[in-house]
Amino acid sequence: MMMMITLMISGPVFSQDKKKNYEEVQIKTSAVCGMCEERIEGNIAYERGVKKVELDDKTKIVTIGYDPRRTAPDKLRKAISKLGYDADDVEADQAAHDKLPQCCQKGNEPH
Amino acid sequence: MKLKFIISFIIILSSGQFSLAQTIKGFVYELNASQEKTPLPGANVYWEGTTLGTATDKNGAFTLKNDGAKNHLLVVSYVGYLNDTLHVHGNKSIEVILQGSKTLEEFEVLERAPGAHISRNDPIFTQQITMGELKRAACCNLSESFETNASVDVNYSDAITGAKQIKLLGLAGKYSQMQTENIPNLRGLASSYGLSYIPGSWMESIQVSKGTSSVKNGYESVTGQINVEYKKPENQEMLFLNLYVNQIGRVEGNVNSSIRVSPRWNTAVFGHISNQAAKFDHNHDGFIDDPMFTQVNLFNRWNYYSEAMEGMFGVKYLNEDRQGGQMGYYNNKEPGSEDFYGTRIRTNRLEAFSKTGFFLNRPESSIGWINSYIYHDLNSFFGLNTYDAIQHNFYSNLMLQTWIRSTAHTITTGISYNLDHFDETLNDSAFVRTEHTPGIFAEYSWVVPEKFTLLLGLRGDYNSLFGFFITPRLHLKYNFTPKLVARVSAGRGSRSAGVIAENLSLLTTSRYFIFTEKLKMEHAWNYGINLTQYVDILGRELSISAEYYRTEFTSQVIIDKEQNLDQIRVYNLDGPSYANTWQVEMRYELIRRMDVTLAFRYNDVKMTIDEQLQREPLVNRYKGLVTASYATNLRKWQFDVTAQFNGPSRIPSTAMFPEQYRMASESPFYTVLNAQVTKFYKKWEFYLGGENLTNYKQNHPIIASEDPFGPHFDASNIWGPVSGIKVYLGVRFLLKHDRL
Repeated sequence: MMMMITLMISGPVFSQDKKKNYEEVQIKTSAVCGMCEERIEGNIAYERGVKKVELDDKTKIVTIGYDPRRTAPDKLRKAISKLGYDADDVEADQAAHDKLPQCCQKGNEPH
Repeated sequence: MKLKFIISFIIILSSGQFSLAQTIKGFVYELNASQEKTPLPGANVYWEGTTLGTATDKNGAFTLKNDGAKNHLLVVSYVGYLNDTLHVHGNKSIEVILQGSKTLEEFEVLERAPGAHISRNDPIFTQQITMGELKRAACCNLSESFETNASVDVNYSDAITGAKQIKLLGLAGKYSQMQTENIPNLRGLASSYGLSYIPGSWMESIQVSKGTSSVKNGYESVTGQINVEYKKPENQEMLFLNLYVNQIGRVEGNVNSSIRVSPRWNTAVFGHISNQAAKFDHNHDGFIDDPMFTQVNLFNRWNYYSEAMEGMFGVKYLNEDRQGGQMGYYNNKEPGSEDFYGTRIRTNRLEAFSKTGFFLNRPESSIGWINSYIYHDLNSFFGLNTYDAIQHNFYSNLMLQTWIRSTAHTITTGISYNLDHFDETLNDSAFVRTEHTPGIFAEYSWVVPEKFTLLLGLRGDYNSLFGFFITPRLHLKYNFTPKLVARVSAGRGSRSAGVIAENLSLLTTSRYFIFTEKLKMEHAWNYGINLTQYVDILGRELSISAEYYRTEFTSQVIIDKEQNLDQIRVYNLDGPSYANTWQVEMRYELIRRMDVTLAFRYNDVKMTIDEQLQREPLVNRYKGLVTASYATNLRKWQFDVTAQFNGPSRIPSTAMFPEQYRMASESPFYTVLNAQVTKFYKKWEFYLGGENLTNYKQNHPIIASEDPFGPHFDASNIWGPVSGIKVYLGVRFLLKHDRL
């Protein structure tokens, strides 16, 4: 019953969240600045199956909404790593990381 | 269904309320001449990518909620200072010291803001057309870049050659100053076809300012100024490709590339080639609707930065061959023969420029030096008229910028020199003209932050043909509230007319030019007032601007084709000539990610033609514009629709023509509809669009099209589209530098 009410209330706006082709994953990244946020959001948005990307700059956690039939959390972590950032336990691709602008590199304090 | 919609609407409305409201407090400082920290009142503080912001008070303090902040980047900006962007967490108090800008205003690298917007800080009413906005109408060059702009009209000036002209404040483009990177450009021989000389994918942004502009850039702007910024090597893609094709066979290719040569030197190469080989005659008048052409356009630029100076250097080359006329014209045995009517315009154009800026030891002080040389060679015939011309233009502008008493009072002063040499031959008459114009200028600006800006300019120039003349200019901006801004401008503009070059379209008639007297220099006064109000509705900002501009000529060259059937009479204005325009414009993000613009303009443009005060021909009495742009979540798709509403205009009198050749005295109201869909991928962008979707055409655009060598032939009475619907398809490939 509760479930139904929730469904009804959120139905018109959030209906796509409830479908089978939509799941969300939260990935902890090593983003440090706004430029990182732009990079991650701008690039992950075009990964296959991605429907939503939001990076919380305080927690450095990126929330990715995706179609589980077309991609998987592991693939998304790998994609973040290739941009030069850590993604949960997947370490940043070293070559990509070294190419990042100074302010985006690990070890820089959030500014 | 309706109820559901309302519920979701309410949820959307109230969703802003649920986020936790946090408040950021802080202070903004500047370093004064003795490097002491002093409060900076009136600095803009806002969340990046949003319109949520505030200004610092007289102690430099501000408080700002972070409701709706997209990311937690706080931007602090102030005219003449480098923007500072901070990553702000939580509720803590912050302190910002703004650094004085070491960049000359002339070299300002514009930020890429979404879509078009009105600059808030500029005392001169300026609309920015950004790259995002330029992409809304993907085809093809500068002439098509104003489709979503309510202030600038672009019209064909004849039905054969594809010549286009802009109109600003109801007056022809020759009265607005065209610039590329603040260097006067597209003057003289480039007046008729110049809008096609700047490919769309070379442009980073366009600034359209109405009313007379700063004296720093010369005396020529009467109704306004249009400045094009090319893409800069340091922030453009490593590789950019664009391919465009439309259903009537127009093909375009663009290749841009940028290289960081050393930490100080960046270079970029731009290449463009376009071609229209197919010929169509959809209106069955025997004439090709769209001219055939081939254009090759190359540009190489170099930018240099160091602590002490910066420099920009560039070379541009253009070759264009455009042909039009009767469908069978290609069968002509020789050019200009009477077998078929044909036109051919061949252009070779070389541009070179340098801009150097030296920073002085005093803060906010610098010396800037601009040099530019343009060579333009034009070979053409229009039926039996032949016109060959060469123009050399050299322009140099040396200026010093510094301040008096405090950095709130800046002075820019300098000297300039302009050389124009024309060598023209129309049929068997030769015209050679050399104009040297040295000038001196000074501009004072006083800024009371976020309250008031005064810009006072004066220049004196000596033209070797017309003598000495002065150009005073005044601009005032006043913020009644942070959300209500008023701008007033007044000033004088002057120019020397190049009658034939500016009216090449009139060679597509059977008339001949008659110069009844020695022409004077053109002088006009322009006054304007603009009010812009920003209103927050549902957390998004509605901007409404209302304006009135008046241009009054004290001296003007009148091109009169109504007095006599077979003549174009050219003489000095004798009587009044003025243009009044009223415009209102609204912009709002109607629903999330959907920007809507509504605009309406009323034109009242009259001039004394043949001793009578008459409405200027081919100026729409009113003009309306509606644009909507919607981007999906994550901007993977973008949809754009633009509708232009064109009010009636007066058609030059055809009363003297035989009955079958007469046109109505007024053109009808008509609408032009354009739409485009763009799909974005990480490195690829695809676009599909249509121009003139309602397929509206002017019937019989050419008078006496069946008798092109007869006495009544005239292809220049154009008030509407000549060709119908155009559907195009294109692709862009972008490869960014790692550092971007």
